[in-house]
Amino acid sequence: MSATEPPVLEVEDLKVHFPLPGGGAVHAVDGVSFTLPAGQAFGLVGESGSGKTTAALACARLNDITDGSVKLAGQDITHLDGRALKAARRDVQVVFQDPYASLNPRERAGAIVRRPMDLLGVGTPGERDARVDELFALVGLRPDQKDLFPHQFSGGQRQRIGIARALASHPRLLVCDEPVSALDVAIQAQILNLLGRLKRDLGLSFLFISHDLAVVQHLCDQIAVMYLGQIVEIASRQALFTRPMHPYTHALISAVPSPEHVDGGQARIRLKGDPPSPIAPPKGCRFAGRCAHATDLCVTTPPSLRSVAADHAVACHRAEEPEVVAARDALIAAAAP
Amino acid sequence: MADPLLSVENLEISFRSGGQDIPVVRDLSFTLNRGETLGIVGESGCGKSITALSLLGLVPSPPGRVSAGRILFQGEDIVQAGERRLNQIRGADISMVFQEPMTSLNPVYTIGEQIAETARVHFGLSQTAAWDRAVEMLTLVGIPSPEKRAHDYPHQLSGGMRQRVMIAIALVCEPKILIADEPTTALDVTVQAQIFDLFQELQAKIDAAIILITHDIGVVAQMTDRVMVMYAGRKIEEGPVSAFVRDPRHPYTRGLVSCIPRLTMPPPEDPAPLFEIPGVVPAPRELLRTGCAFAPRCARAVDQCRAESPVLSPVSPGRAVACWQEKESAA
Repeated sequence: MSATEPPVLEVEDLKVHFPLPGGGAVHAVDGVSFTLPAGQAFGLVGESGSGKTTAALACARLNDITDGSVKLAGQDITHLDGRALKAARRDVQVVFQDPYASLNPRERAGAIVRRPMDLLGVGTPGERDARVDELFALVGLRPDQKDLFPHQFSGGQRQRIGIARALASHPRLLVCDEPVSALDVAIQAQILNLLGRLKRDLGLSFLFISHDLAVVQHLCDQIAVMYLGQIVEIASRQALFTRPMHPYTHALISAVPSPEHVDGGQARIRLKGDPPSPIAPPKGCRFAGRCAHATDLCVTTPPSLRSVAADHAVACHRAEEPEVVAARDALIAAAAP
Repeated sequence: MADPLLSVENLEISFRSGGQDIPVVRDLSFTLNRGETLGIVGESGCGKSITALSLLGLVPSPPGRVSAGRILFQGEDIVQAGERRLNQIRGADISMVFQEPMTSLNPVYTIGEQIAETARVHFGLSQTAAWDRAVEMLTLVGIPSPEKRAHDYPHQLSGGMRQRVMIAIALVCEPKILIADEPTTALDVTVQAQIFDLFQELQAKIDAAIILITHDIGVVAQMTDRVMVMYAGRKIEEGPVSAFVRDPRHPYTRGLVSCIPRLTMPPPEDPAPLFEIPGVVPAPRELLRTGCAFAPRCARAVDQCRAESPVLSPVSPGRAVACWQEKESAA
């Protein structure tokens, strides 16, 4: 990557609110900013309802953007429409979670993969056919499988079709929404290795959404942890998993069941209750109600996302307080093999 | 040692397809003791869920049926039991938590009514007593303001809350065996952790045995005492959970344990590609051929593997594996 190449994605104070019929709105994404350098994989993690999928789909302009901006390879796409939006979509494509629901059951695999090129006007018809062959080989499918229907494939193969389709228009950015969570473990490894290879060989950038921290750690260079529509911590892979700072990040890490600790000894931070409603988010820190370290300040004043190192920012008033640091140290000590 | 709570002997389950009986579970034997948690691990189609259903007499028939073997619950054969007897056992003695709380709850009844119904049917409680019991169960599974939430319909609850309601229904009669089929797959990790804490608390309280069906190796490691690995309808390995995680013996089990990304702190600088088990699980129809069902995907397969099905053989106390190669190296 040349030093002058613009970031593949720049998201600035993104807000996606869904208005409710009786007034008010669901604040699904509420002020999210991040930058994805070309050739990197950026992970968005968080629980259901944290806004990670909504934020990622907004980056592909698949959701209406309420406020803020999204720049794709230097171009502001926030307000594009018509032909200009179509042209921009060549650069950003999506791989969906459910390989069963996201393929047209009545279309043959080859036609499914070709469809984005037809719709987005990529290449000549002859070039499109050749590209389909190339894509099938790239994702590990046989050329003779082009004539089969989705139901004739296994789940893993279907996800390969979904990936081939997403690659058809030569995108710079692939948005992957939980691409392996519907697959069997043995198949997950095959698909994760495929994505890793595409990143390395094609220099592709990824916006990767997952609730599985191990998967995100495996694939992503940078990771943002979301809670109730906001980023609470953002860091490089090394920083986040060496020095996680937000109490919510600690809770997420400690909740992953560890095969290493089969004889016991896994650190446990248990969150009580459910996240608050995104319709009327709390006015202080949104996590305060479930945080073991919260004080009056946390309840009244929202913490801003502040930089703590070159590759690390956190939104927590108390991240450096001894009790929070001690909780993290306990987590790290317990994780040591 | 006392007789096991549950003893499955040479179980075979077949499905009628294209004029042929296709066995989807074959020659399966295992036991379950009081207070124990048994993990059943395997990929989609390995027969783990249908085995669980057979324990409740719920194999959809036709086209399916238990075509051989016995399922002894406290000495009584569930395969031979009539529908009336099965209804007494279901819920009261053996109950089940399904994967999808969204589709397993009745959308037109309140959650209080759904829990109370089970208590009414099995304990003959009055309406009011059953309702009180429902509220008590909601408290037990950690639902805030249970008196109020009991009047909610399933759609008014979050996924984690719905799964707690499922667990409340499954546990209202204090069953001796709780079968949980991927109970947390649809849930977030933090909620998953809460649900498993709940399982363990309740297990300690009523000394129930749990059968946990999952493909998450981390969950197996944290939750179970003993593990049974299934592949293509057969048990291929069995043993204590620590042996399963630390020293898996069957090539398939080894693959399963090593193909998952692991969360490590600090993380590796540049993660190596994951181990891959090549290929996919065989279709049930392919199981009619001879030899080890895993042979086509196995790096260590030899002629004998393709010619003859390996027998499950003990490798050490409490451990057994069905692999010709393993038998060789153990000898």
